[in-house]
Amino acid sequence: MPVTKIKLKNFTAFKDLEVEFSPGINALVGANGTGKTHLMKACYAACNYGTEDRSLAQKLVGVFLPSGRASGRLVRQGYEAVGGSVEVHVGVWHVRCSLTGRDTRYATTPTDPQRPDMKSVYIPAKNMLANAPGFLSLYEAREVHFEEVYRDILLRANLPALRELTDDAHQQLLENLEYVIGGKVTVSGEEFFLSNEQGNLEFTLLAEGWRKLGLLWLLIRNGTLQKGSVLFWDEPEANLNPKMFRVVIEVLLELQRAGVQVFFATHDYVILKELDLQMTEEDVVAFHSLYRDEDGEIGCRSTGSYLDIHPNAIDEAFDDLYDRQIQRSLGGLKR
Amino acid sequence: MIALTEGNLQISIQGAVNARKFDDDGHGLSHCMKAVDFILEFPDHYLFIEFKDPDAPDIPRQARAEFLRSFEEGQRDEELKYKYRDSFLYEWASGWADKAIYYLVLIAQHDLSSGDMLRRTNALERILPLQLPSSVTWTRPLVSGCGVFNIDAWNRNFPDYPVRRLL
Repeated sequence: MPVTKIKLKNFTAFKDLEVEFSPGINALVGANGTGKTHLMKACYAACNYGTEDRSLAQKLVGVFLPSGRASGRLVRQGYEAVGGSVEVHVGVWHVRCSLTGRDTRYATTPTDPQRPDMKSVYIPAKNMLANAPGFLSLYEAREVHFEEVYRDILLRANLPALRELTDDAHQQLLENLEYVIGGKVTVSGEEFFLSNEQGNLEFTLLAEGWRKLGLLWLLIRNGTLQKGSVLFWDEPEANLNPKMFRVVIEVLLELQRAGVQVFFATHDYVILKELDLQMTEEDVVAFHSLYRDEDGEIGCRSTGSYLDIHPNAIDEAFDDLYDRQIQRSLGGLKR
Repeated sequence: MIALTEGNLQISIQGAVNARKFDDDGHGLSHCMKAVDFILEFPDHYLFIEFKDPDAPDIPRQARAEFLRSFEEGQRDEELKYKYRDSFLYEWASGWADKAIYYLVLIAQHDLSSGDMLRRTNALERILPLQLPSSVTWTRPLVSGCGVFNIDAWNRNFPDYPVRRLL
């Protein structure tokens, strides 16, 4: 079931923000410090509300990891006395969590029996698959300072493969990914390998970009990414050669067509342009531009068209590069 | 003020010694040489100018989309290169091409992004070529500068010879 809306009040960097989401692909763009990752993490926490008997506040603390695990530190600085809130809508259902700056630990709230069944996955910018061996047991036993998204992604990647894929589109996606990365992903113990006719290659020896595509392969193969699930992906472009972006966007669009809701945050022009070039009129895509207004407050403008993204921090960077390129190329003419 | 027109686009020029449409019937060698649309002469330089107008009202939607795809993928770079080089040779053989030459390409597509213009400008620099390896000892450049523009970028950079779309 898709995430339809989020309302944030005095939460982390946000004063008062409401964003409505597409049930298909949601591309988040904006300069550093405009809250793209925070927005996705808050939605992801809501999708996981109630799992492991945890309240939304508990999950927020887990994925944001404020100092001392104090949920009060998630309240916007300067507004601790007023308090803040997070409200996420999933279909017609919603979950809300109030936080005050006095909270030294998270508030506990009973699990809502009406909570819809939500499958979600959050892929952080830093790939963990190569560092997986021992991480989960370490995380459970010790106070290691990793946001919970790193534990969660390994838990999902470690899920056994489905006996059978029922969706032809997913089968085709797997074959496409296998062709690009040159094999299938296997798990032995807690270690991931790329396996093909030549043998098994451990992920520590595998190019970072292929690890990312290998992770997608795993999540499709084990049924984490299936109809009704939600994928959050922070900076899919990180450590990936731009030539691979075409495949990444192909995969995201196919997942969307198969009923997976997708969120990704990006700083990359090529990723956005690929989406613009590959999306068809049947695809359901929203671009959300996060920005700071003249008072420094975060706002968001959403549009269904790449060309209407405004403000567009990525394009602005290219505008500046282009102007300087023209100055260099035609400096003699313009003097 | 001189005004030159190519299809639905018009360029108005101030301060030029000479301004002419280059690829018209007077060219005479269009069967074997490509040609830029306009050549403008200023006291200390020439401008070779090529217009492409995918936004022209008579361009079918499918053809426009095909042009944009091929342009963004760099498939038009070679055509733009040979238009410049053949025009240079033609002018050189005519006893001209005796001052710095700049090559300006206008792609009159309203939504052509800075990223696309930057990439195509870089590609043209590479293949004209503008930047030479140290082993090449030419005594004068083949081209002194080049750039790819949409109408907004053109008019921002060249207020003395603005381009406008005719109604």
